[in-house]
Amino acid sequence: MPVGALIRDRDVREAYAAHAGELYGFAARSLGDAGLAEEAVQETFLRAWRAGKRFDPEIGSLRTWLFAILRNVVIDLGRARAARPGVAEGEAEPTVEPIEETLLAWQVEEAMRRIGDQHRQILVETYYRGRPYAEVAEELGIPVGTVKSRVYYALRALRIALEEMGYED
Amino acid sequence: MKTDGCRERRESLGAYALGHLPADERAGLEAHLEGCPSCRAEAEQLAALAGPLSLADPARFEAAPVPPASLAARVAAAIARERLTRRRRRMRFGLALSGAVAAAAVAVALLVLPGGGSAGPEQHVTFASLPRGMKISAKLIPHAYGTEIHMYVQGVSSGTLCRVYLLRSNGSRLSAGSFRYRWGDDNLAILSSALDLSKTDAVEVRVGDRVFNQEVRQ
Repeated sequence: MPVGALIRDRDVREAYAAHAGELYGFAARSLGDAGLAEEAVQETFLRAWRAGKRFDPEIGSLRTWLFAILRNVVIDLGRARAARPGVAEGEAEPTVEPIEETLLAWQVEEAMRRIGDQHRQILVETYYRGRPYAEVAEELGIPVGTVKSRVYYALRALRIALEEMGYED
Repeated sequence: MKTDGCRERRESLGAYALGHLPADERAGLEAHLEGCPSCRAEAEQLAALAGPLSLADPARFEAAPVPPASLAARVAAAIARERLTRRRRRMRFGLALSGAVAAAAVAVALLVLPGGGSAGPEQHVTFASLPRGMKISAKLIPHAYGTEIHMYVQGVSSGTLCRVYLLRSNGSRLSAGSFRYRWGDDNLAILSSALDLSKTDAVEVRVGDRVFNQEVRQ
């Protein structure tokens, strides 16, 4: 039995404690429904346990492995929901974001929660709200140059947080 | 080349990456980037974030959704249920496999034991944990040149691109080519890889954007 295999109840409990929060966050983000997200997390751990002997920490981290399983589960659940009769009748067909984009969006949102409040705030004001630097500077009572450098340090922090979550260009 | 001017320039790189720099400042910075590979590398790293940033929804930055506390217990219960079902199934199988049936099974086992070809026996791989309705299996045939792979895929939509890889124990992955599943075809694709079957730990199949692995029992 390889070290790190997901076989005993204790292995599953530990994996759940370490990763369920993130897995649930991504599932909820991409399925847009709390009940389906719970189903997705449960199915992910069940599939992981079934294939537990095959998990090899030398190939990749447990987190990466669980996310790969969840990705498949989310695709299956999304597809099952799209095929359910009655949902789309008389309504516009629900748009399904490609899963890679949703994963990236979720990673950025998660990274935003991990960087400091000041960093997140400066990116929200300048980038997402599109406000002029001078206006943001006045509101925060700091020089315009500080707004500019804060945007720089915020992007760097964001990049590091993303890389910790397995992001690659 | 790193100069004293770099620090100040660098602090503009964020605004530059997001397209917020006024035209005159941008021109000055771009002139600096021309001659400064280390600033340029950082500018590229930050510019790569612009795409992902545009996908995110700022309304979701505040609080991450948290799974209900009861979910941990439900996960444990689902696993316990499945473990019990498996155990029962195994017991039933054990009882059926008695007397003459067992003897026949031993005879068959002896027939398929290695000893025939010089390159060792074929391996049959059936993928477990697939979505309902999907079936994937492979026959791996050892050759002097590497491994011949017969892939059988069922239950995916017609035209789906399937890519096949062989995985080594050190984690490296060797492509064994690709094929498209066509409904109504004989659902067999014959591929090959330079990797020796004896060094193959697992087969990976990417069906569209889904990834499935199955180990090879050596």
